[in-house]
Amino acid sequence: MSKGFASNSRIGLLAFGVLLSFGVLGVRLVDLHVFAGPSRLRAASRARSLSFPLPAQRGVITDTLGNKLAMNVPEYQFGVDPQSLRSADEGKWPELAQLLQVPLAEIEETFRRRVRGPARTATGPADESLTIRLNPAGSAAAAAAEPVEEEKLPALAGLPPVEPAAPAAAEPAEIKWAKLGDPVQDFVRDQVMALGIKGVYANETYRRVYPQKQLAAHLIGYVNKGSVPVAGLEAAYDYYLRGLNGWQEGERDGRSREMAQFRSRVVAPRNGYSLRLSLDSVIQQFVEDELQSIATQYQPASATIIVSDARTGFLLALGNYPTFNLNEYNLVPLSEQASMKNIAVTNQLDPGSTFKIVTLSGVINEGLVTSESRFDTSRHTVLIDGKEVPFMEDDHHADGPMSVAQIIAQSSNNGTAQLGLLLKKEGLYAYARAFGFGERTNLGFGGEITGRLNRPETWRGRDFTRIPAGYSVSVTPMQIHFAMGTIASGGLLLQPQVVQEILDPAGKPVFVASTASKRRVLSQSTARTMAQLLMGVASPEGPAKAAAIDGFQVAGKTGTAQKIINKVYSTQNHIGSFSGFFPATDPRVVVTVIVDDAKLPGGKVNYGAAVAVPSFRHVANKLISYLNIRPPGGAPPIGQRLAAVQGGGR
Amino acid sequence: MEFRPSSAPARSAAISPVTVIVVCAITLSLLGLTVLFSASAPSSSGPFFYLKKQLVGFVLAITACAVVSRMNLDYLRRYAWHIGIGFAVLLLLVLIPPFGKQVNGARRWLNLGVTTLQVSELAKFGLVFCLAHYLALNQTRIADLKRGFLYPLAMIGVFTALILKEPDYGTAALTLAVGLLLLFLAGARWRYILPTLALAVAGFAVLVANNPNRLRRLLAYLDLEGNKTNGTYQLYQSLVAFAVGGGGGVGIGQGRQQINFLPEAHTDFIFPVLGEELGLGFTLAVVALFTTIFIAGMIHLRRAPSLFQFLLTSGALLLICLQAIINIGVVTGLLPTKGMSLPFISAGVSNLLLMGILLGVLINSDRTWGRVTLPSRGLKLGTVAV
Repeated sequence: MSKGFASNSRIGLLAFGVLLSFGVLGVRLVDLHVFAGPSRLRAASRARSLSFPLPAQRGVITDTLGNKLAMNVPEYQFGVDPQSLRSADEGKWPELAQLLQVPLAEIEETFRRRVRGPARTATGPADESLTIRLNPAGSAAAAAAEPVEEEKLPALAGLPPVEPAAPAAAEPAEIKWAKLGDPVQDFVRDQVMALGIKGVYANETYRRVYPQKQLAAHLIGYVNKGSVPVAGLEAAYDYYLRGLNGWQEGERDGRSREMAQFRSRVVAPRNGYSLRLSLDSVIQQFVEDELQSIATQYQPASATIIVSDARTGFLLALGNYPTFNLNEYNLVPLSEQASMKNIAVTNQLDPGSTFKIVTLSGVINEGLVTSESRFDTSRHTVLIDGKEVPFMEDDHHADGPMSVAQIIAQSSNNGTAQLGLLLKKEGLYAYARAFGFGERTNLGFGGEITGRLNRPETWRGRDFTRIPAGYSVSVTPMQIHFAMGTIASGGLLLQPQVVQEILDPAGKPVFVASTASKRRVLSQSTARTMAQLLMGVASPEGPAKAAAIDGFQVAGKTGTAQKIINKVYSTQNHIGSFSGFFPATDPRVVVTVIVDDAKLPGGKVNYGAAVAVPSFRHVANKLISYLNIRPPGGAPPIGQRLAAVQGGGR
Repeated sequence: MEFRPSSAPARSAAISPVTVIVVCAITLSLLGLTVLFSASAPSSSGPFFYLKKQLVGFVLAITACAVVSRMNLDYLRRYAWHIGIGFAVLLLLVLIPPFGKQVNGARRWLNLGVTTLQVSELAKFGLVFCLAHYLALNQTRIADLKRGFLYPLAMIGVFTALILKEPDYGTAALTLAVGLLLLFLAGARWRYILPTLALAVAGFAVLVANNPNRLRRLLAYLDLEGNKTNGTYQLYQSLVAFAVGGGGGVGIGQGRQQINFLPEAHTDFIFPVLGEELGLGFTLAVVALFTTIFIAGMIHLRRAPSLFQFLLTSGALLLICLQAIINIGVVTGLLPTKGMSLPFISAGVSNLLLMGILLGVLINSDRTWGRVTLPSRGLKLGTVAV
């Protein structure tokens, strides 16, 4: 049919070639669409699918007034996408380095590394498992072992250690984001963004901060940089505070940006619950100021002040010296790690005379004595199980037989031992246990210890005369405080509590703590009698007259215990304490001050009265005006309240 | 036969093959616009940028088609050399900075002030026109080494070399292939063609073997997965698109590969987008439409009245079909990755313009070939050997 312009065979050949090409394309398309599908489909879904967590905000911790003690602030973690850098921006790098406080060399290195992992050769995937982590030595070895193209070599040799790559990035992958320095605050972010370096951007994160720094550090505890709650309420109540991270699934585009239109699932984060503590920042500040002044004046090894509500057992303040700034927990030197301990529940000390309230309460509650019963305290030994056991020495001499009131007011070791003997060892042990000694107060956190209270079967010799007076037992400051609280509360051992409410993210209370008592230890009348007797201690005539407050009746007990240094009781190192409550007849607050190893001027022995008692008064004075405490049946003098408000009264 | 007005179809009884070609081209264009919109919607220039540009291209192409289809192409042969030398000069101008605009390291665009023109697209037609004219002129000397082979080969060589210089390897290869095929169809001796081919292959081999970089790039497409970060990323994403599309496609507008996974998704790599969104049925349909154009063209060619018309029309047909074959071959990984747009579908005004001209040539031939049996009206035989 050709008109002879071209030979049929040539036209045929051409047509055959072209049609064959079309045929091959068709076959290839079927192959690509249908048969080569699954593996590439997997690759595509891996490259496209996007799932990232939506972090929940941790609940805040506030004091009873709502002042934030632990909160979250947004901060911004800068990173760079090395793929989208422009050389035009290179001049701005030094400024960026300065703003982010990262050495320029580090910035340059991060910016110039565009590929993660070693260059894989076409020979095979055998080395994939090796490539997740690279160190310079490893990469050099890999480069030597494999025929890598020459232009890849320089890049490989100087590689810094890489952060762990995602599992999917086992093979060399373009770096789409590399961290730049530490998170910065919003104003730094604004400055960096103003530089306008393409490819440098920040992600918002939250950082836990403690606006009151060291305030109540041992109660609040902290969350470390890895978002792990480490200590205190942060750790104990993590379940409520931490919230539940949400996540988002969807697709990303070729530049790893989320494509909102293909978002397939959003699980919203549930923010953590908040804690409202019974703690009052103001009172806590009183306490910590006082601790600080004790520290400057006496350089003690440690000191603790606890303030609780006498009627409910809620803690109003708990302070320890030494302490630390919660925001800088990581900067506490190794030698000062002890400052991070909540010594109110972890320190084990001989209570000394404050323990005498146990013995005294016991004999009165059992009806063995009245406050007017008298004991001969002139004897130096007592016969127990056929053995002569010496009494502890007293540094005062009574003219005649002492009344029970005098024994407690003078803190007679001799007399208290005789009272203890009336109770018998089982009775004394039972009362000590009932007051909460030898068991945890169950504050619930801080690594609380039980102290040591030996079982009566193991008591030997001097134990009989020492234990009633607070030696040969070990207790924690918290135990002393709540033993005193038992008398203040009318005979009930209260459960120490610090969390008043747990609030959901909307601010609705989901848990409200109520007063909890562990047991009745004393009858109400015994408790009243004890309060009367302890008023004698802190009366203007008593040994702790420094604790006396104008217009108020204060009940309390001093304590001085020799510290055991090198296995013997030291005459130089003492623990002084005062635990008391007021108003004595209608108690509002219980305050305990314990000072370990205060250095008095002139090497004077540190009795409880000397250090702890004045501090008690300082704190008490401020509490009276701050909490507006009035003596039953009369108002305190106006002038005194003003002085307390102004931080005076010392 | 009786005299018919020039606008009447050559054969009214059956559907003209050119009509089939035009229908195929319109179908491809409409399909192309749809996919183009989807493929270019994520563009940083805005969702409608390329669509609008393409629509302008279509207006220009239709205008060009209308003009060319009404021209007396035989009369235009008088200016064949003007056309050929003109395009050669334009191709040279493209290489010179103020006139040529550089994009991605290549000078392919002639800066016309308001817009740019990819001269090589139109130059391909210029070469075909010159070759057809020359070979028809020297029909009787086709066995002659110089006039029958070397001179036309030199013409092809000049155009190819100029395009290579831009560089635009894909277009250069297409130009070379179409040129040689025209020479082949015109009857060039096997004994000239075969050694030339052997020489070309050898030269090419030497060129590649001497440059490992070039060799690696050329062979990279054979190991896709291994070279993903090393040059075959685009092709890999292209094959992923076909796999995702499967039989039925994910739906128009639902494709993801064009969203920053697949570079040049709106131009050279638009076919994979079509594959992902519409699936195997439509990719095969596209191949079938181009095949139909080719077959219809071959049928139409049998009515060619002269060697010039035969070669010109063959050239037009080959320019359409080979370009489609190369483009689809590249995006399916059968051929090394080279820039080449898919006729009627890829974004690109210059190529649309060329397609308009080529269709114009085909329509023109359909319009005029019917009159070949009439006494030679309008043909000036004095200079043209038929």
